[in-house]
Amino acid sequence: MAGYLVRRILGALLVMWAVATLVFFMMRAVPGDPLAAMMFDSGDPAAAEDLRKALGMDVPLVEQYARWLWQLLHGNFGTSIYGSQAPVRQLLAEALPRTLSIAGLSFVVACIIAVPAGIVAAMRKNSPADNALTLVAFLGLSMPDFWFAILLIILFAANLQWLPAIGYSPLSEGFWPWFSHLIMPAIAAGTTFAAIIARMIRSSMIEVLKTDYLRTARSKGLLTWRILLVHALPNALIPVVTVMGIALALMLAGTVVVENVFAIKGLGRTLIEGILNRDYPVVQGAILAVSAIFIGSNLVVDLLYTVIDPRIRYS
Amino acid sequence: MTDHHDRSAPPEVAAMQAAWDDAHDFDPRDPLVGLSRAEMSGPQISRRGVLRLMAAAGTLTAAHLLPAGPARAQGKAGGTLKCGWAGVGQITTLDPARMNQVLQFQITSNVLSGLTHINADLIAEADLARDWELSADGTEYTFNLREGVTFHNGEPFTADDVLFTYERSKNPAVSIHSRALGNVKGIEKLGPHKVRFKLAGPQASFLVKTTERSSGRVLTILNKAAIDKLGEAAHGMMPVGTGPFRITQHTLGQSVVLEKFDRYYDPERPKLDRVQIQPILDAEPLAAAIEAGDIQLIGGGQIAPELIDRLVANKDLVVTAQASPGFESIWLNPHRDPFKVSSFDKPIAELMKEKGFMVRLAIAKALDRELFIKQAEFGRGTPAHGSINPAMAFYFDKELAKTSLQRFDLAEAKKLMAAAGYPDGKGFPRLKVLLTPPMRRQVEVVRAILKRNLGIEMEPVVKDIPVALDEFSTMEWDMVRIGSGGDYDPDDAIVDWMQTSSLFNGQKRDKAKYPFGYFSDKEADALIEQQRVEGNLEKRRDLVRKADRITSDKVASAFLYHPATILIHRKSVNFPDVSRIPALVDLDRTTLA
Repeated sequence: MAGYLVRRILGALLVMWAVATLVFFMMRAVPGDPLAAMMFDSGDPAAAEDLRKALGMDVPLVEQYARWLWQLLHGNFGTSIYGSQAPVRQLLAEALPRTLSIAGLSFVVACIIAVPAGIVAAMRKNSPADNALTLVAFLGLSMPDFWFAILLIILFAANLQWLPAIGYSPLSEGFWPWFSHLIMPAIAAGTTFAAIIARMIRSSMIEVLKTDYLRTARSKGLLTWRILLVHALPNALIPVVTVMGIALALMLAGTVVVENVFAIKGLGRTLIEGILNRDYPVVQGAILAVSAIFIGSNLVVDLLYTVIDPRIRYS
Repeated sequence: MTDHHDRSAPPEVAAMQAAWDDAHDFDPRDPLVGLSRAEMSGPQISRRGVLRLMAAAGTLTAAHLLPAGPARAQGKAGGTLKCGWAGVGQITTLDPARMNQVLQFQITSNVLSGLTHINADLIAEADLARDWELSADGTEYTFNLREGVTFHNGEPFTADDVLFTYERSKNPAVSIHSRALGNVKGIEKLGPHKVRFKLAGPQASFLVKTTERSSGRVLTILNKAAIDKLGEAAHGMMPVGTGPFRITQHTLGQSVVLEKFDRYYDPERPKLDRVQIQPILDAEPLAAAIEAGDIQLIGGGQIAPELIDRLVANKDLVVTAQASPGFESIWLNPHRDPFKVSSFDKPIAELMKEKGFMVRLAIAKALDRELFIKQAEFGRGTPAHGSINPAMAFYFDKELAKTSLQRFDLAEAKKLMAAAGYPDGKGFPRLKVLLTPPMRRQVEVVRAILKRNLGIEMEPVVKDIPVALDEFSTMEWDMVRIGSGGDYDPDDAIVDWMQTSSLFNGQKRDKAKYPFGYFSDKEADALIEQQRVEGNLEKRRDLVRKADRITSDKVASAFLYHPATILIHRKSVNFPDVSRIPALVDLDRTTLA
């Protein structure tokens, strides 16, 4: 197991290096000079060149790459070149708790909706309840999250005035301020994934419910809830956990639309702002963080398999 | 003075009548409209002087003479004002040397000070300067500085801070606005609270463009000790100034928090204890936030025009509009067909013989600006025929809308297109229009108007702001939709945009391929240069208007509209008229009910 973990971690580092390298060169191949917008008001080409020099952007690309990689190996992600000149590490450290909060709560919302809905749909296969849940799941899947987010804002913030429309309050300022700012983003981001997870639980449970050992369990007179939750659900979880892992990673990296609508600057918005401003160090740092999240969540999912199904062993 | 007051009228009406008479009581041939040079000097031009200048410009109305009305919301000192900054995801910098957006200097105008600050009539008033004197030849400004002023870090404000700011700002590697000091030869410290600026030549815009705290940005006073202590990056996020508020927190993309500065030089200001500013990129959440009361005032960028009527209908909100200091245009590349012009340096009659000019003029004349404003801006804005905006009331030429060759005339536009070889748009190439994402709606409206009116097709090409600005500078485009904001002085419009050597006039173009930028006219250049150094306001106004007329008639661009600044706040916010400086959001006199 330890050997497996070491191999996975080394592999992960290799993948992250490959991603970082690709992003480094691709960003510079994209049209748009990061200094153009900054220096537009200057009217002094010499000043733009001075700034380019000061930022180390005047040397050949390979040299820039080598410098950046060397800094990275020392834990230095560089500094933003657009405006703030803030260290990228600081920008990511500010953004990550917000994204983790939204993604974590979205995941909880998704599970709260998906698990009972998936089980009920599987138990009552092809019944009106199953059909209704399927319809709701498709609605959840087909609703754009930004549109759903705006509907939530109009209803709960503008009309009912129960929840704040926008913004973020850290957990350190109290549970309710934190929760009240996040519940609408979490519902908006979590609903789509709830639909996906519910569909996966349904199909996986239907397969498991057909197996002989569950027929035996039913014939022994075990209670339905016990059959479902103790015997069926754990065995149906392998594909579900895979989807949940991907869903969580996508939420962590891809809540940009929800972050925009609710004016919360998380990882997604940091990345988008970086791309729009051609702020290379910010984009590189944010993509590295996203790739680390994906790789990390994949690893956790793989390890969870061994917990869910003890027959699975890695060597 | 004539005396035809109605003796039976109430005293307020009689006072208004007297002010009206006094404002118009001057010899029209007198360039100083009956005012002395002292009356034109600082720390402030008198109300009498302002009214007289407005009367001379023909912009004085009875509304300007109304006595102050009762306070709207009964405000009291203290409290926290929560603001949303529209159309922006993060405030990237608040360093005056690096800022290039109005929504940034809306914030710093509450935090940093200049030697002068414009008022609601765009006239420079004393800020950190107590008063000033202009030498007889107009090349030396001597400022007596306010004493007892303290920076937010406790450092006293002295002449050394003015010198430090000047030295920092004139370095183009540090300040993107260093060009604004191009006419300043040097600065001399005459005492701990006295400085003298020596100019290479007279500069009419000096007090509004150079020493002003927000629009100028080159002499927005900073403190060396604060920058040394914090470092450039951290100071850029939370600059230390002498303004009514100090920044106590700036979380990038989340909020900027301002707190009352207890040692501000005016003990009566600010009224509020705290201001919280949150950038909000999307329009709908911004509207919902103010409707729900999460925010109480909207500042920042332009508010999505489609939302404004909804907010006007909300009885809890106050929505007011005023002319914004800027112009918006469609730029036509004079080096490319079908807009090709060999040279603008010829009389209009000669230019009219060139097909490229005919097409330029046809497009400008086919732009139904009223319809555009109705459809793209939901009726808010002023049709533009030149770069001088209506917020500059003294310089703005209302007659231009009636007399410019660009005025809407569809029959004439069609005739010009036919004469250029494109009857009903037949054979006209499909042109690309470069734009940034926020301009999408506007370009779609322009596209529909030109398709309907001239039968021509345009293809919008949306590019991110850095790419679009870069391409605009290189002249590698057919048409561009871009404009200017924060134009408080004519120099901001005509010097920065309309001269051959203008800041934005194809600065990165291939000069062999494109010998001039988007516009170049010797007569306009000369007039703009003359107005730049003209000390007499009347004469300057005439020069500005002449230059504006030439750039309009020769179609430097197809001028589209002057935007409106929309201020939206909840009724509980008392935002006094005196603070209504176009495009700024000065909160030092704001109170909460």
